[in-house]
Amino acid sequence: MTTVSQMAPEGEATAEAARPDLGAAAWWAPRSGHGPKSGEAAGADHGQAPMGVLELQVAVRQGRSVAAHQFHQGALRVLRPHYLDDSGQVCYVVVNPGGAYLGADLFVLDVEVGDGADLLLTTQSATKVYRTPGSFAEQRMGVRLGEGARLELMPDQLIAYREASYRQRTHVTLRPSSSLVMAEVVTPGWSPDGAAFRYEEVRLRNEIRVETGDGGTSELLALDNLLIRPPSGDVTGMGFMEGFSHLGSLIVVDARVDQALADELHSLTSARDALTGISLTRSIAGTTGLVLRSLSNSTGEVNLLLGACTSLLRERWHGQEPLNLRKH
Amino acid sequence: MSGYQLALQQLVDSALPTGAFAHSLGFETYIDAGVIADEAGFAVWLGAYISQSLSYSDGLAIRFFYEGVDLGELDELLSASLLAREVREASVKMGLRLLEIGGEVFPSPQLGLYRDLVSGGLAAGHQPLAFAVVARSLGVPLNEALAAYLFAAATSLTQNAVRAIPLGQNAGQRLLRQAADDVAAAVERVSHLTLDDFGAVTPGLEISQMRHEHQRARMFMS
Repeated sequence: MTTVSQMAPEGEATAEAARPDLGAAAWWAPRSGHGPKSGEAAGADHGQAPMGVLELQVAVRQGRSVAAHQFHQGALRVLRPHYLDDSGQVCYVVVNPGGAYLGADLFVLDVEVGDGADLLLTTQSATKVYRTPGSFAEQRMGVRLGEGARLELMPDQLIAYREASYRQRTHVTLRPSSSLVMAEVVTPGWSPDGAAFRYEEVRLRNEIRVETGDGGTSELLALDNLLIRPPSGDVTGMGFMEGFSHLGSLIVVDARVDQALADELHSLTSARDALTGISLTRSIAGTTGLVLRSLSNSTGEVNLLLGACTSLLRERWHGQEPLNLRKH
Repeated sequence: MSGYQLALQQLVDSALPTGAFAHSLGFETYIDAGVIADEAGFAVWLGAYISQSLSYSDGLAIRFFYEGVDLGELDELLSASLLAREVREASVKMGLRLLEIGGEVFPSPQLGLYRDLVSGGLAAGHQPLAFAVVARSLGVPLNEALAAYLFAAATSLTQNAVRAIPLGQNAGQRLLRQAADDVAAAVERVSHLTLDDFGAVTPGLEISQMRHEHQRARMFMS
């Protein structure tokens, strides 16, 4: 019997190339064409090493979270850490000095939050994807959360320019005691004539696994796979964007997530103009995910809504003030 | 006539008691909001649903099963990717009924294996997989199974819309004729999808499925 991870696309010789998603360990390994190690893969459309690599490991030292390991290469780095309050949570800001993602660019981020550590990870500015003719830009992010570790992942919005294709894969492995909040804002993109949805394709794929034992065994809690492909038809109408332009997404995984919280966030969001849906994922080993999806007409509106939800969680679970990420 | 023909007809007949009459899979939210109020409105939703959810989740799960992917792994992928709780529960509810009926009328070793995984708590028991297991055991070729499954889903949803909106019976038949073209396109589309595409959803369909949880007056469980 074959498994999904053993299924090889035609002509692909290596196991690595065929299992970008399901293998808990090897997802970030160079896929067809990315990186020097995969030179044997045929039909590659990305021929070079990653444009940017960032590794960050956060651990607790004397009650505060600090970087235990940090590495960057190429067009990715982090600013000096700061502490927004006295909770011990460290805030890192990811910077892309090149300012944008271009065709065939690959960016790789590897983040680990150790036992009991607390990281707020954000970006300095919007992720901009320019024209990627015949190819696509890609970001792969691996996240590992330890026992009682917490990550708030709050990037700026994504802007895909005319004729841009972008794939973002985020692969999170966490423990039942970990706490994850991750947000995402997708704009309708940008084109010189002001028309919306002129990009080719945006794929945002989040895979969240719960490690249930010490042996590295994990179960798939949530697979959140968003695909917007404007050339394939009407992306603005019923069933798709419902006449709205902006999409906001929030995923929360925490042992404290329950239906009462989902109902409360539903009440909190239903007063707003945005069209919002909230639902719970399956539960694994006592932890549950909450997924919020919201359509609205501006980045500001989405941010207000996501901010209202994350503020509630910060206050209730951590006694923290609402997040104020003034970009300096 | 192929040996499996009548069995397949029984399997996809809307009289098969899986409880499909109880699910709108999100379209009731549009009815409640006044967005779907007639035949044309439902046609738009049904087209989107067939080209998205039914292709990227159900259809792709069926194809992967036929291609030999592990049943437990596919079951987990469905449980994880059906993020709207009511839709996930609907898939399992109808799947369990299909496993039960299949066990009585179309038993096979593979079906027994899936039932064992479910009873052992190792799988949830999703409708498209239960269908795929039975269809393959009957010797139904992949594309025929896919087309039959997708059209059966479209038929149940259309019958539910005819009751809920409500629409005339002839309108229902016109909708089904149109859905047949969408199903044919979906079968073609599914053959080109990859693992990366699995479970891809469009925001609107998913939000309406999630919002259904809070709808007050409702005819359907999803």
